[in-house]
Amino acid sequence: MLVFAANGGHHAITYFQAIVIGLLQGVTELFPISSLGHAVILPKLFGWNLNQKEPYYLAFLVATHLATAIVLFLFFLREWVRILRGLGRSLRDRQIAPDDADARLAWLLVVGTIPAGLIGLLFEHQLRSLFANPTAAAAFLMVNGLILFAAERLRRRAPGAPERAQLLARSDESPTGPEAEKRLATLGYGEAVAVGTAQAAALFPGISRSGVTMGGALFVGLTHEDAARYAFLLATPIIGAAALLKLPDLFGPDGNGVRGPALAGALCAGLAAWASVNFLMRYFETNRLTPFAWYCLLAGFGALLVFVL
Amino acid sequence: MRRDQVLAAVAALVGLALIVVGVIYLAFDEHSIPSFFPGHSSHPSSHHHAKHGIAAILLGLACLAFAWFRTGPRQRAGASA
Repeated sequence: MLVFAANGGHHAITYFQAIVIGLLQGVTELFPISSLGHAVILPKLFGWNLNQKEPYYLAFLVATHLATAIVLFLFFLREWVRILRGLGRSLRDRQIAPDDADARLAWLLVVGTIPAGLIGLLFEHQLRSLFANPTAAAAFLMVNGLILFAAERLRRRAPGAPERAQLLARSDESPTGPEAEKRLATLGYGEAVAVGTAQAAALFPGISRSGVTMGGALFVGLTHEDAARYAFLLATPIIGAAALLKLPDLFGPDGNGVRGPALAGALCAGLAAWASVNFLMRYFETNRLTPFAWYCLLAGFGALLVFVL
Repeated sequence: MRRDQVLAAVAALVGLALIVVGVIYLAFDEHSIPSFFPGHSSHPSSHHHAKHGIAAILLGLACLAFAWFRTGPRQRAGASA
């Protein structure tokens, strides 16, 4: 096994650990089960001596997050091209034409991203310092399970949601393409802000970004499949921007000795993310969040027992 | 000046001000930024509040976008109807 030591040998992360964490990141970032929670809990369960508050570990995570964001962007490339064209059209015309679903979806994503982005920029460090310990993460994982149960229970309960659900049921069922964007573009700006702000809950290790976003989208009347697509589109800029913002850490002194494992971890994260998004987009055509809710509840409970007893 | 135009002008001014604030945060260390800025430190330091800067620029861009659309053709048509 190749081993490398960072920061004068005081902290070590092996290529094996990098590959496992990369695969874990790629899967758990997109499944509604919290990547941060798993990144905090599993190394502790494996008995790995990784200090997750150390700059070298954070520099390593930058690479895996960037890989996940790139994969998400490429998976929805055709959608992003249409969305960016719509954004350009609306800026050129200084209005969002009523029949321009691409432009409307673009601005829904913008207004949904701003609040979570601001909260993340201003409070990420404090929240990570406070709650990035395995016991808290296990407890929050259970909370995530309850949120997912609640999301299924409260589907289509928001004002106007039943009407939207009826409308969408009559529309073209095409899972991708402009018709899918038209369905997402039926969201209101207030709903987009609310769903986007909910993403900030993912700053608590154990709460899933895609879980709360999908839950919010289900609450306002979207189908599971459209909710998943909206969650992934909404996650792409924020994961990518957060990784790009911290990219200098990887190429600065904090990244010394980490770059090899980071590359291995990023490749694994990218592969796992591609497989995950492929699977989830098919899974949510016919299935619900409930199995993930049970998983979070039981895994969080089990981890909590291990850490507390 | 109509209410819409006043709102757009205020949003544009606030947006520009926020972008200037963001650039100051990015360009100067916490000791050199004006003392009334959050995060100012009276002790010499080389630390930059980059996150504050990015947040201010993002908000500024959002205000400018609001002003841009507020003065778009549909708004003007609606106001003149």
